[in-house]
Amino acid sequence: MSVSPQGPAGGGETRTGVVPALLVMHSELASALIHAATAVYGPVEGVPVLSNSGLSREALEERIVGEVAGWTHGGLVLTDFWGGSCHTCGLKATRGRGEVLLLTGVNLPVLLDYLHNRDKYSPAELAERLQLKGRESIRAQRCSDR
Amino acid sequence: MSWVLHRIDDRLIHGQVLVAWGARLSPQRICIADDAVAASEWERQLYADAAPGIAVSVLTVAEAAAAHAAESASPGGAFLLVRDLASALRLAEAGAVIGTFNVGGLHYATGKTKVAEYVYLDDEDRAAARALLARGVSLDVQDVPATRAVPLASLEPLQ
Repeated sequence: MSVSPQGPAGGGETRTGVVPALLVMHSELASALIHAATAVYGPVEGVPVLSNSGLSREALEERIVGEVAGWTHGGLVLTDFWGGSCHTCGLKATRGRGEVLLLTGVNLPVLLDYLHNRDKYSPAELAERLQLKGRESIRAQRCSDR
Repeated sequence: MSWVLHRIDDRLIHGQVLVAWGARLSPQRICIADDAVAASEWERQLYADAAPGIAVSVLTVAEAAAAHAAESASPGGAFLLVRDLASALRLAEAGAVIGTFNVGGLHYATGKTKVAEYVYLDDEDRAAARALLARGVSLDVQDVPATRAVPLASLEPLQ
């Protein structure tokens, strides 16, 4: 599946439903990302956060399941890095849940793009868009003196 | 070279293992000795995918004990991960010769009491720890290599 990062699929048709998301990250990163997003985007509502601090694998999985269990039309679990407990527990907790998808490597540009577009795409389309957004957001630059 | 880390950690492969210990010790292989994970093809693949560039094998504790000596003679470094002290004891009792276990993460669960920020034990854990120490296996509490290793027995009496 390929989705244009510039606009919603389907010739500009806008979905009315909001794709829910859950941030699951190390330490206080998820809360800090929401705090930073608030400074750029404005008040952020309806995006719960989970930290893995102090939690066993089973306890973290249980908390993720508790958050996503009500997502009857799908949603996104956003985690910080591949191979971490947030990622692997997120995969296990979302296994077999249809349109509940996991995205890892999430940064501030990805979160901001989610907030701006969470009512315009299906979960799968939004995940694809956010993946592209994350890749585009990391750039190395050298500034010349001129 | 082979074994460069034997770790007890209920999260098995996760960030501290890959990022902190992985960067310090550069393992070529990670062996997870865990009966539950070994019984699930889906979970075996989950962990195999979790460590890009590192060969991950998932064995039962008995299988890992049987393979331990042969791995010791293999080139390159390897990690061995178990989820709890009971599994570590079963490995040792089955013949795996292990000098030190790194106690990296035993998180809170009902019935467990705090020993360190990331180590909680119940009576069964303490019994397994005592048995391991009696066999001459050292138990060092240390989550990441940048922190100091502390003998488990020095943090609380295990009796």
